[in-house]
Amino acid sequence: MASGISDLRAGLVAWRLWTLLGWHDIRQRYRRSVLGPFWITLSMAVFTILLGVIYSRIFSMDIAVYLPFVALGLIVWSFISSTTMESANSFTDNAGIIRQIRLPFSVFVMRTVWRAFIVFLHTIVLIIPIALYFRLPIDMNTFLFVPGLILLFINQVWVSVVIAIVSTRFRDIPLLIATALQILMFASPIMWPVSALRDAQFVAAVNPIYHLMEIVRGPLLGETPPLLSWLVVIMMCVCGLGLAAMLLTRASRRIVYWL
Amino acid sequence: MALISLRNTSVDIPIYGIGSSSLKMTLLRRAVGGSFGTSGHTLTINALSGISFEARDGDRIGIIGQNGSGKTTLLRVLAGVYPPTGGDVVVDGTVSPMFDISLGMAADATGIENVHICGALWGLGKFEIEQGIADVVAFTELGDYLNIPVRTYSTGMLLRLAFAIATLRRAEILLLDEIIGVGDATFMKKAQDRLLAMASQSRIMFVSSHSMEIIHDLCNKVLWLYQGKVKGFGDIDEVIGRYLETPANAGGAAAVISAEPAATLSAALSTV
Repeated sequence: MASGISDLRAGLVAWRLWTLLGWHDIRQRYRRSVLGPFWITLSMAVFTILLGVIYSRIFSMDIAVYLPFVALGLIVWSFISSTTMESANSFTDNAGIIRQIRLPFSVFVMRTVWRAFIVFLHTIVLIIPIALYFRLPIDMNTFLFVPGLILLFINQVWVSVVIAIVSTRFRDIPLLIATALQILMFASPIMWPVSALRDAQFVAAVNPIYHLMEIVRGPLLGETPPLLSWLVVIMMCVCGLGLAAMLLTRASRRIVYWL
Repeated sequence: MALISLRNTSVDIPIYGIGSSSLKMTLLRRAVGGSFGTSGHTLTINALSGISFEARDGDRIGIIGQNGSGKTTLLRVLAGVYPPTGGDVVVDGTVSPMFDISLGMAADATGIENVHICGALWGLGKFEIEQGIADVVAFTELGDYLNIPVRTYSTGMLLRLAFAIATLRRAEILLLDEIIGVGDATFMKKAQDRLLAMASQSRIMFVSSHSMEIIHDLCNKVLWLYQGKVKGFGDIDEVIGRYLETPANAGGAAAVISAEPAATLSAALSTV
């Protein structure tokens, strides 16, 4: 356990390295395009407007309620799904470095998470025009967004560490995750409101994605996230970080041989 | 003081991809109680076995041996990236592993940006990188090229930059894996001088090479690896003498300066 914790701590200390590498990945991806990373912003804007207009009719909801809901849902979901999916390659993509320079393994995971976080920042800005246009309330609840986002980030760190390790050893896992995420997206209250479940509310309650959604999306929509969601996410972070440290301890001497 | 001590060190590298790395095989093996597949064990390669030696301040050790004898694996063990699967390894001192010097180079970033990226990878601090830029500018003589993406560079220019960055960091233990070799004559001279300066500042140096000339020039001891085991360690002339007497090595004894660095450099760049 000790070596896993020290790997995580050393990874955190090396924040300058992974922020640099993560930021550079983004620049590399959009180099020489005119809009650059704002392509992400643009595509998310078009997607949410279309979805907002069409699905608000399907669910016969007011567009002023539904569009902000679905926009935030998709933005948060893409952060969750991209960290989960891309972390599968955190070690394999950095195989050259891992075979040459001794660095904490968590550095490579943080590179992936940070890259996804930069994308998230490019899409979350859409909340500003949405809030202005639909006059979303700004009150004390709004500020709960900050602790919510921090918890979401921590949660995605441990998820990514676990997935990176397991995927390096078992190469079927990335494929399994891609499938699972697709199913999970439709099974989670991202595009549909929980109220639409009517008497089957438990379907949302047992879904960890729902609780992650609530603590980030809720505050921005002017709602107070339920206490249960905070507790569930905090529990997930604590247990998850423990699991990540345990796996790192067990695997850190083998990861390089799995590459 | 720097110290390296290996006692009975072994490295067994598991080979996956023959089915055993997939989840299916593991689950199947679980389900049928370990009788499935290759008796439940993964195929492994004995890359190093029973390696024991010590290196102290002032040691300049040349590693020789045929392809596949474990030279690179040993260097990776010394760099701390291959944890030994058996025995003990003590490496006391900061290590600079120069195996692939173009590591981390991003084709679409400018020369200066690459100094920042690679410098950080090599473990340099922000301040050291800022200071190192002047050094890189002077050494590479690339001038304005440093402000345009490195994908426009020629192979020689890329190597200059990579070499300049990789040699920025001063470490107590220097590990070189066959990197000397490309560039025009004047640059070669400069690169050699810089490498020698770096080598003289390091406390312990390991050089793996097929060129007995390079080993003679740079080293004061030789470690001869054969099929993952130490076949000879110590006096340079004595060990090289015995090495060359082995029929298999006599033919290839002439200085083989490989063109590999250029190939790996462009390969590395095309993948980033």
